[in-house]
Amino acid sequence: MNKIECNKIDEAYYTEKLENGLKVIIFPKKNIQKKYVIWTTKFGSIDNTFIDQETSRKITVPDGVAHFLEHKMFEQKSGIDSLYKLMSLGIDANAYTTNDHTAYLFECTDNFYEGLDEFMDYVQNPYYTEQNVEKEKGIIGQEIRMYDDDPSWQLYMNTMDCLYKENPIKIDIAGTVESISKITPEILYKCYNNFYHPSNMVFVVVGDFEPEKILEEIKRRLLPKEQRKEIERIYSEEQEEINKKYKEIQMEISKPLFMIGIKDNPKQNYEQIVKKQMAIEIILNILIGKSSELFEKLYNEGLLLEEPSLEYEFSKQYAHILIAAQSKKPQAVKEAIIQKIEKMKKEPINKENFERSKKRIYGAYITEYNNVADIGRMFASDFVKGINSFEYIEKFDEIDEKYLKQILNEIFIEEKMVMSVVNSK
Amino acid sequence: MQLDTINIKEGVKFHIINTNKFKTNLISIFLTSKLTRETITQKALILSILRRGSKELPTQQELNTKLEEMYGAECDCGIDKNGDNHISKFYIESVNDKYLPNKDEILEKSINILLNIIFNPVTEQNKFKQEYFEAEKENLKQIIESRKDNKRNYSTIRCIEEMYKNEPYGLYKYGYVEDLDKINNEELYSEYKELIENSKIDIFISGNIEKSYVQEIIENNKYIKDLKPRKYEIKQDNEIIINKEKEIVEHMGVAQGNLCIGLKLDKTNKPVTAVYNAILGGGANSKLFQNVREKASLAYSAGSMYIKTKNSIIIKCGIDPENYQKTLEIVKQQLEDMKEKKISAKNLEDAKRLIVASFKSMQDEQDSEISYYFGKEINNDQDTINEYIEKIKNVSLEDIQELAQTIKIDTIYFLTK
Repeated sequence: MNKIECNKIDEAYYTEKLENGLKVIIFPKKNIQKKYVIWTTKFGSIDNTFIDQETSRKITVPDGVAHFLEHKMFEQKSGIDSLYKLMSLGIDANAYTTNDHTAYLFECTDNFYEGLDEFMDYVQNPYYTEQNVEKEKGIIGQEIRMYDDDPSWQLYMNTMDCLYKENPIKIDIAGTVESISKITPEILYKCYNNFYHPSNMVFVVVGDFEPEKILEEIKRRLLPKEQRKEIERIYSEEQEEINKKYKEIQMEISKPLFMIGIKDNPKQNYEQIVKKQMAIEIILNILIGKSSELFEKLYNEGLLLEEPSLEYEFSKQYAHILIAAQSKKPQAVKEAIIQKIEKMKKEPINKENFERSKKRIYGAYITEYNNVADIGRMFASDFVKGINSFEYIEKFDEIDEKYLKQILNEIFIEEKMVMSVVNSK
Repeated sequence: MQLDTINIKEGVKFHIINTNKFKTNLISIFLTSKLTRETITQKALILSILRRGSKELPTQQELNTKLEEMYGAECDCGIDKNGDNHISKFYIESVNDKYLPNKDEILEKSINILLNIIFNPVTEQNKFKQEYFEAEKENLKQIIESRKDNKRNYSTIRCIEEMYKNEPYGLYKYGYVEDLDKINNEELYSEYKELIENSKIDIFISGNIEKSYVQEIIENNKYIKDLKPRKYEIKQDNEIIINKEKEIVEHMGVAQGNLCIGLKLDKTNKPVTAVYNAILGGGANSKLFQNVREKASLAYSAGSMYIKTKNSIIIKCGIDPENYQKTLEIVKQQLEDMKEKKISAKNLEDAKRLIVASFKSMQDEQDSEISYYFGKEINNDQDTINEYIEKIKNVSLEDIQELAQTIKIDTIYFLTK
């Protein structure tokens, strides 16, 4: 096992790649009662076209299949749902699907090894029947309806539609009522057999563990699997330009919501992605973070009530900046942001603003290590993106004003900017 | 973990939670006062004004600049209802110096910032700064109006409003637009004085800290020294009014229907009710999840929550508008089954484990731990975590059945298209 330390925050983790290709990450946390396990496969809503390992043929699966499969993993041949069994042990278990991965997880204080038995058993043993697949369509149908009524989700999906022409990130993670109606047990097994191979997965445990011992416990519960080559996924070629500048819908809300998106190219210097993300976060904070002049101005004019949510979202397939908030005048906020960006490009970076924003973001990274669940989720999703989470602490000092300016000029471009608005009815 | 409570003066307590589990220190200050229609909008407005800044850091930009320099300390305030008591809470979370390149005395700075926000607001001529007063009045109006934006929350708020019509607990925590229009700055400032002088004050600090160090900072603080002793009577065990079952259907442009059913109990037995609620709708093993979701395929979310301080339970299901009657029947059947003891020993054990596990893991979360101890303080609850866990473990099927007889549906609320 490799031990990787981060002295700045007094933490370390252990990592091992097993023979079957499974990557294991063990993050010991002394004196914490809670234990957290998250097992993740690199299979998300964007992975809808791939070369089948069995037949070597290209297949396209219905939208929403990764999420549907996640729902159906809990069902077992015994007739007793695994979620039910874990809950019976006093264990809080769950699963979720994102654009680029699906994660199964549980946390507990007691009955850990009984929980691990059940957990590793169900993730390795799918059981799909015509009947249980049909039943799930009603449940997921209601989940989709719930998102239909969620203005923030509609806002986000419309932003993706503005940014991308072909990229599968445009597709709703849960699919549509229509697309999931086409899902069958055969399709689910096909996806399971391709994507739920250990070599496509990462297993993260966080808690008060002896690394060697817990590694043995995990190995003992793994079913034997042959080594296998990496899955070939096929994504449509995405243009550099945006798809459309603006999209607006109406919902029953009190005040408009807006989201500004700026399209970036993830394929440029992916090895620098951590540095780039931190630089973007610093720029966003200087631009319109809660201590910025612009935020103070818009707040005083009644155009913003709260600091906008600021994010750089990326994988190897997509990358974009998102700025979202509620405002009675979204256009005015957008124009003010564009002006400020142009001003920042012309002037040297203010040293004080730069240092202070760096401190804020550094503090936020340290705070992530407060909670075993946050640590587990962070390591799992960063691993999927090819990142070791400690890089966010270690590489922080490498960011200087020069690099910041370079990122600002390269990425914060008006032609790459879109806006989605949800207006009140 | 070690908890020490110090009585600073009558009505003002300081609680220190010494723990090495976190990278941050968290300071929370709670002001407990009466929950009334007359003052609820005023208090919401007071909090909005206080978060604009203090005399020390008089603008948001200055305050936020300072917080960012302290490695992004997070500082904010909020409103809660605890039974028929109004809670104004203020907090600041900052990184422990131990994990920073320089020793910045961030803990002391954090305490000072928070105390200044509460006790040293920006004023002019014995009222709040007029500019802040006007702007926050407009902002609060928008916040009150935005309560319908999140349909799931909105349906819960409306259900509680109907369950406690004309009672303090039914009040909306951010208040009412029609009351907001009537507030003037002078009156508001005197209400602020009233809040500071007469509320019960609880100060919590959690982190890897030295007791004597923080005690000295708090006890020597000017604002704490200036506080007068006070006696706030916590409202407890109030009379429970169970209304005749009523049904309310509200229409909005929604894709999904939100069903909320409010249940009331006239007997108070918290451990038994907690277990009852867990069996009914506490998790994936609950009767609601199993029957409404897994068997009937009617919902994605189906469950219930226990409002401990009001001894009531709210059932929530997100369903297709067409399936209202069908869902209602299934839910009512679950309540009947509980009355007739149609629950297995396993249902009971599962529910107990769920509660016990949530209590144990609570101690690994800094804010949950503070909320738990503050809840104990307000509800004058003497049980330690272990004693409470014992009580949960001792709940029997007969206890559940007995309790089930006394549970009544008070309000059925449905938000639909």
